[in-house]
Amino acid sequence: MKGIRPYILGISLLCTSCKKDSAPMQVEETRPLTTKDREPKLFATSDERFRNAQPAPVKGSPPQNWLVLPPAQFRELNYRFGASGTGEVYVTLASGSVGDNVNRWRGQFGLAPFTPEEFDAAQKTPIAGTEGIWVEASGEYASGMGAPAKPGYGLAGVIAQVDGKILTLKMVGPQAEVEAEKSALRAFAASLGMIR
Amino acid sequence: METETPTPAKSRSALRIAYDFLSGFHVATATLLLLLVLTWLATLEQIDAGLYPTLTKYFSWKSPWLIPELNGKTVPIILPGGYYVSALLLVNMILGGIIRIRKGWRQAGNLISHFGIVFMLLGGGVAHHFSERGNMAIYENETSNVAEDFHEYVVEVAESKDGEVGKIHVIRGNFLEGLTAGNPREFRFAGMPLSLEISGYLGNCQPESELINAPRNRELVVDGYYLRELDSFVETERNVAGCYARIVKADGSKSDPFIVWGGQFHPFTATVDGRNFTIDMRKRLWPMPFDVKLDKFTADFHPGTSRPAKFISDVTRLENGREAEVRIQMNEPMRYEGYTFFQASYGPTGAKPGEDMYSVFEIVRNPADHWPEYSLYVVAFGMLVTFLTKLGGHLGAASRKRNHAA
Repeated sequence: MKGIRPYILGISLLCTSCKKDSAPMQVEETRPLTTKDREPKLFATSDERFRNAQPAPVKGSPPQNWLVLPPAQFRELNYRFGASGTGEVYVTLASGSVGDNVNRWRGQFGLAPFTPEEFDAAQKTPIAGTEGIWVEASGEYASGMGAPAKPGYGLAGVIAQVDGKILTLKMVGPQAEVEAEKSALRAFAASLGMIR
Repeated sequence: METETPTPAKSRSALRIAYDFLSGFHVATATLLLLLVLTWLATLEQIDAGLYPTLTKYFSWKSPWLIPELNGKTVPIILPGGYYVSALLLVNMILGGIIRIRKGWRQAGNLISHFGIVFMLLGGGVAHHFSERGNMAIYENETSNVAEDFHEYVVEVAESKDGEVGKIHVIRGNFLEGLTAGNPREFRFAGMPLSLEISGYLGNCQPESELINAPRNRELVVDGYYLRELDSFVETERNVAGCYARIVKADGSKSDPFIVWGGQFHPFTATVDGRNFTIDMRKRLWPMPFDVKLDKFTADFHPGTSRPAKFISDVTRLENGREAEVRIQMNEPMRYEGYTFFQASYGPTGAKPGEDMYSVFEIVRNPADHWPEYSLYVVAFGMLVTFLTKLGGHLGAASRKRNHAA
């Protein structure tokens, strides 16, 4: 028994030395600046740090019952609404003309493009200091992004030309939920403003 | 009646028993066979598990034993780690192949070969503990003086003043890896009024917005984000590490936690005593003692394919005002001051002729870079001596036999 004591002691010491150290540690290692280092952007937000999000070029006052989401690709402002949790509202700076975008939205619900007369007679609403075309549709919604068509959907939105850009405000979701939020959407459209 | 006192059996000391065992031929045979089996299993396992994790599992000093997995199934055997098998072989070679071996001219060749093998095994150990591997990507007409480690993520803390970055303090990856959730550690920095408490380290993860994907495993959410753990990639260099941190001030007060992530676009900024400090996480950078400027990059492809036939980097090495033009291409690396630059790849993927491209060098810093080559020369020389000694002995014996018969 005596003979194995030194081995037991040795193994015990070895196990102790393997234990993870959680005591405070003084960091000694430093490195010089290299060609890979850039001047850091200070006080970046989490959105900027993790998604390289740029400040939105447009701002507005959404109603309190909309859930604010981080901006996403092609969505400068991004919200969810409605009891189902599937309703979406988002603001985009698009390309093309106002008419092109109105007809694209109508096409997503299987509606024919506006004739010039229908376009001129379309309802208008204030948005970002100007007036935009108010668009409504309902039925089967096919976003055209590879997603399956969704029946019973509704659309309400505004498209306007602002500062030479096409500003779109789009609300899509279950038809009843869209109907219930139309007035809030109009108020939100009126609150929008471009950040110059 | 006289009783005969029994003569005690000649007992060997424990040291002698250990010496006899460790220097024995059977240990050499067993270790060499084990290395053969380990190499074979590792070659098969790396197909699914990836090269780096497999090398670590089979041959790292951190792996004293292992259980092989082939095609996703566990092979129910426990094998000793290759590092320790090699270490045992080294001890065996020194004790048996150099110390215990019979000395004389006839054994000179064997002795030389054994020295060569010892040298090779030592080279492997030095490479294992002291070599570094990284990469450097440079666009044409750009200059770089730094390599980026393939795997190791570090946390860097620096003061930023008037747009200038001060001394960059580096917390190495081996101090971060064990800091799982609920297992924090505080790191202090000379000359700074803050220290950093780090925990919740994940080897591969991504920050997720709780608004887009609600946390499912009660992850800590800070400023709307949490770290979602991801499965490790087979190519582990694609993993992106992250952790949670808090600023600890001199009075012991702690800030709210924040996330630092290896893929973040900007560092976290903390203000302490009116001074701004950045906390960043990135793959470890190791500065070179010289600059490398990519003058020209040429990529030739097999006709009609994107398979490279050859790619060549013409670089200028700049050091203390001196310039040297060097061509680096496949199988023709640049070796300089202990660094070896291999032509590894290029980018961006799918670049068309005429588009700006960058060249990627794999950079290896290995103090034992040439040791395997030299050891092979020594082993070959030893075997040659053995062969010539044997041949001489055989010819001499044949000659004596003829003389005797005559």
